[in-house]
Amino acid sequence: MAESENGSTGLPDLGDSIDALTFEQILEMDDDEEEREFSKSIVYGFFEQADKTFKEMDSALENNDLVTLSSRGHFLKGSSATLGLTKVKDSCEKIQHFGARKDENGNPTHYDDRKFLSLIRDTVKVVKADYKEVERVLKQFYRDPDAH
Amino acid sequence: MGDLKARLKPLFRRSSTFSSPKSPKAPKNSVFEAPTGEAPADDRSWSKTSLRLKNKKPSFAIPVYEEKEAPLQLHPLTPIETESLGRGESEQSPDTRLEALRPPPPPPLEKENPTLIVETPTPQSRGAEVGGAATKDPKHLGESDARTTIGSQRPGIAHRRQSLARESQSRFITSLLQSESPQSRPLGTDYFGEVLTPPKMQQHKKIWVRRPGSSATQVIINEEDLVDDVRDMILKKYANSLGRSFDPPDITLRIIYRHPSGRHSQTERTLGPEESASKILELHYPGGQSVEEALVIDVPQRRTPKHSPHLAMPYFLHDDLRPRENGTDYFPPMPLQGPHSPHLPSNLSISSAQGVSHHPAAHSIGVLTTGQIPNLPSPGARMARHSQHRPKYGRQHTSSPTVIQGAGNAQNHENLKSSNPQPLPTPPIPEQMTPHKAATPPLPRVSSPGPRPKPPVNKRSKKAIEQSSAVPGSVRDGAVPPINVLIVEDNIINLRLLEAFMKRLKVRWSTAMNGKDAVTKWREGGFHLVLMDIQLPVMNGLDATKEIRRLERVNSIGVFPNSASSTPTFANGDGVGVDRMPEIEDSLMNTALFKSPVIIVALTASSLQSDRHEALAAGGNDFLTKPVNFEWLTRKVMEWGCMQALIDFDGWRKWKDFSQTKPAEKASVTNNSGKSPKAAMNGKVQDGGGKKEKERMTLSLTKENKASSEDTCTGTDTIGDSRNVNEIVGRA
Repeated sequence: MAESENGSTGLPDLGDSIDALTFEQILEMDDDEEEREFSKSIVYGFFEQADKTFKEMDSALENNDLVTLSSRGHFLKGSSATLGLTKVKDSCEKIQHFGARKDENGNPTHYDDRKFLSLIRDTVKVVKADYKEVERVLKQFYRDPDAH
Repeated sequence: MGDLKARLKPLFRRSSTFSSPKSPKAPKNSVFEAPTGEAPADDRSWSKTSLRLKNKKPSFAIPVYEEKEAPLQLHPLTPIETESLGRGESEQSPDTRLEALRPPPPPPLEKENPTLIVETPTPQSRGAEVGGAATKDPKHLGESDARTTIGSQRPGIAHRRQSLARESQSRFITSLLQSESPQSRPLGTDYFGEVLTPPKMQQHKKIWVRRPGSSATQVIINEEDLVDDVRDMILKKYANSLGRSFDPPDITLRIIYRHPSGRHSQTERTLGPEESASKILELHYPGGQSVEEALVIDVPQRRTPKHSPHLAMPYFLHDDLRPRENGTDYFPPMPLQGPHSPHLPSNLSISSAQGVSHHPAAHSIGVLTTGQIPNLPSPGARMARHSQHRPKYGRQHTSSPTVIQGAGNAQNHENLKSSNPQPLPTPPIPEQMTPHKAATPPLPRVSSPGPRPKPPVNKRSKKAIEQSSAVPGSVRDGAVPPINVLIVEDNIINLRLLEAFMKRLKVRWSTAMNGKDAVTKWREGGFHLVLMDIQLPVMNGLDATKEIRRLERVNSIGVFPNSASSTPTFANGDGVGVDRMPEIEDSLMNTALFKSPVIIVALTASSLQSDRHEALAAGGNDFLTKPVNFEWLTRKVMEWGCMQALIDFDGWRKWKDFSQTKPAEKASVTNNSGKSPKAAMNGKVQDGGGKKEKERMTLSLTKENKASSEDTCTGTDTIGDSRNVNEIVGRA
């Protein structure tokens, strides 16, 4: 189990947007540390999922659909947490809360819906930016030609 | 006496005016100043009520009746004093002792008529006055009372006691006053009965302490000692059983209030290390501490609190005691140790003021260090059998931290059960399904341990000890028990990762993407563990959890005690003891596949405590936060899986048969297959033995955990386990 060296050396600049320990334990699941088949499939699966989810969020924002926003926030929160994408996870949790008409810490509040929607809109921007960042880092890590 | 005086002297503020307490004719003034053997600490408290002793009333002439009026004046003070002077109050006991040692009071000194010059606000002077006056001379006492409007002679003492002197003191004083020839009285204790121990040294004191369930013993402390110091002394006293394993800070002391309904609503509390031991005792046990009031010594389980989940207990974790999942440290801070459920073979304490039954010293630490296993009245043969089998499991798994039963937890359970039968949709519910079974037929069997020879118990127990202590090396030989896990996740990413984890653990698993699926899958039977995401489409995890619990209940699946303290009966998966047939649509197809309530571990990415509470309230046994830490998950699978494997004895035995082909460490395990442990395991036991047995098993697990607690979560564990499983699987 000499995996962690890999992870830590392989991901030097993840900063605080990726929780190294969490991500490394996924890397540990790889049978082959060159191919990294398993973790790569997980991570790229997450990329797809995130893209899809962001689209759903956007359309829910257009429809002022707080419930869907909340559930999408929760959904992406789960997988981003699993990958250790801390920032994305935190933002998703906020979206989930706002969508449930709560403040960002999950306490019920009494804004009107427009307020919640605008909060979510802002948060979605943040989460997309955070996501772009981790996507870039992760793609680099997997030597993805798309990495920019 | 001379040396007593010498010892006392430094304590007196005005030693110059102090003439030996012996002196029959104390010089004026000195009497009241004399025994100021008070700790400086008292100043603070006393000064609040400092008496104006200076108003010199002609005291000598004061008749008794006049004095008797005094208390009235004082009364307004007393409540405040008693409240605020808790400290000071208790500190007075040295005085009492002092007096006990002192020679009898000299003949009345009325004529001397002390002018009572005690310098007024000196805090000590007051204490001195009380004690000194009392011992020396009743009359003076009276005088001083009059002047200070404190109290009258004898009756007054009682009053004064509230404000100034302790009860014991006043009793002592009273005794002094009443004794004609004080010489005849033995020093020390007599006036207080056994309550106060005879003070050899004025500053020393003995207090009663005991370990839960054990008899009390005394330790000597100094008057000034803090609880922290008492812990030192306790460790000296318990040099073997505790001293080898614990440091003083590990120990906590509990005081059990004499009158639970008193000022404090609790019946007991844990003493902080910074509190003054003697003051606390004085405060709570006015008149002295009796044996029954011994402070209870609680020790933590060693480093990691790791109770294996106890089968006879509802699988519900009190949330306060759960690890805070901050992602940093699995183990929570040690819970305060409170009364324990009698079910738990706990290392922690058991007793409480309410008389929760004492488990006979079921300390696993104690077991390890003393070699004694508590004698369980129940059929031991089975017990032993299990302890022999058990090593294969427990050893492998270093910790079972998921159930941490600590302070108040057991109580909570009992409260839940007794007062509020069905408040929570938690596993304990089935208890209510079979309440009468405990009371009726099964009971007679309980009391007939006849068929099961006792001797084996001891023999086996010893064996178990030997095993657990002697075979640390085999600890990691084991495998993950062959459990079947149901993963309920709607997020494919998480699902895939969990699947990968399961693959790596070499356990079987199935998946469900929503709560309804999960219930459906569960109904097929055979699952031991459910990893349940909380927020799911169609039916969320909480509802699914509740539904599963409900179905378990109506199908009488599970092993539940009827109440925490009574003899449990077990409703088993075969439907024995089902007192109400489930509705058709609820009845499970193959109850044989449901040996016990499934363990539900909730998964949540939420950082909210409330979500965790909900998960537990819905009937979850445990929870994990996402990102799921693989090591934690491994542990959960191990712990819960082990417990489930113990319950599902059939499945376990098959597994065992596989693994027995690995000869070495199994030798000790195999020799008892003649009798059917299965009966004991799968819930057919109607007598108390089943419970005890499980306790014992849990105890064993705990012991093993201890043995291997150092390498709780090393990679080698996993490797070893996987290897073993591989082998087993291959054979299968």
